[in-house]
Amino acid sequence: MTMRCADCMPMIDALVDHELPPEEERELRAHIEGCVDCARELALVVDVSRAAREGLVRHQAPDVLKARIRAAVSGVSGASGANGAAEPAGEEPAARMRRRSYIRLAAAGVLIAAASSALTFAALRRGAAPSTESELLASHIRSLMPGHLTDVASTNQHQVKPWFNGRLDLSPTVPNLDSLGFPLLGGRLDYVAGRRVAAVVYGRRQHVINVYSWPAAAHESPRSAAAQGYNMVEWQAGDVEYWAVSDLNRPELDQFIARFRDVSGR
Amino acid sequence: MAQQDMERFERIVLPHLDDAYTLARYLLRDEHDAQDVVQDAVLRALRHFAGYREGDARAWLLTIVRNCCLTWQRQHRVDRIGLSLGNEVDAIPSESAGTDAAAIQRSERALLERAVAALPAEFREVIVLREVQDLSYREISDVVGVPIGTVMSRLARARRRLAVALGAGVKEAG
Repeated sequence: MTMRCADCMPMIDALVDHELPPEEERELRAHIEGCVDCARELALVVDVSRAAREGLVRHQAPDVLKARIRAAVSGVSGASGANGAAEPAGEEPAARMRRRSYIRLAAAGVLIAAASSALTFAALRRGAAPSTESELLASHIRSLMPGHLTDVASTNQHQVKPWFNGRLDLSPTVPNLDSLGFPLLGGRLDYVAGRRVAAVVYGRRQHVINVYSWPAAAHESPRSAAAQGYNMVEWQAGDVEYWAVSDLNRPELDQFIARFRDVSGR
Repeated sequence: MAQQDMERFERIVLPHLDDAYTLARYLLRDEHDAQDVVQDAVLRALRHFAGYREGDARAWLLTIVRNCCLTWQRQHRVDRIGLSLGNEVDAIPSESAGTDAAAIQRSERALLERAVAALPAEFREVIVLREVQDLSYREISDVVGVPIGTVMSRLARARRRLAVALGAGVKEAG
């Protein structure tokens, strides 16, 4: 069989992908040896494929998503176990299935809400000015649900800071810590301990750091708390009270706060 | 669902959540949408787990994720091409900022991400399934639901488009 070069194009890709039967591969290689155009085409495919393989990001599912899925999956198994007999899924009308899936999603949400109120009670029992810590923890967990993290999503401090103008009496501190490994993710309005507060959001690998700030009521010594894998650290600068909340380990959270304070002078 | 089926589901399907999320990120080009769709897809997979006999669980899950992405896009009628791409590129971690080589590598990656994001959906999905997920033509054919010959020609055309976008300056042959 003689080969026309127009036919070669996808074949060359299949060659690079090791998808050709041995005989066709031999035939194509023989052709490429004598055809400058196809040799150039082969080099191009090898280059593009390598660039894509090496350059394209393999994303990691966020821990929050994995937790939601595991909660939802165990919710489904628990529900059908309680009913005894689960009907064959394939026979359900699509619309009903969809509705049921939302019920399950809602159930997963309830699980998370129940978990966070359990945290609240745990924090309450631990004492030491409970309401602020427990509300911050609940706010932080709520912020991790999809779509809740930021009202203004931007890595640019000059977009995040002005966004709060007119929304709060206090203009929050938004230092740029990108080069220090804490990229800015955005900001949002939140409601903690009976007042509207600013939440400025930073990232660290897969972790989220919420920095809350509001006008300080009275000067107090710095506080901190830990509950269920989350760390909360408070400090005051001038007449503003700051809280950083994250599932980062404490040394890294302290490092973040040190850099936040260095760069912002707060 | 019986306890042993649940355990089997957790053992052979849940380990592929990163791949599921990666595919959804590339298809939907939005991290929040991708999270919602992946959760929906996994619950769908769980409901249909009885229909899964054997074969590659990863390709099976990716098939469901892809279908959920298409359904989601039909329902929401969005094409966010161009939107928020700048942010995603910026969000690539820049651990070793400073050196020229690292900066060049970052900008090449940004160019690549943009070029892939700008591909038509049927080209983008075969590139991701082949180059990121490393599926065979047979597996891609099963996931996408087209013959192997179509997979081959789409992949070839997708790569020529990427080559042009990456500045290789090679004209599309044929």
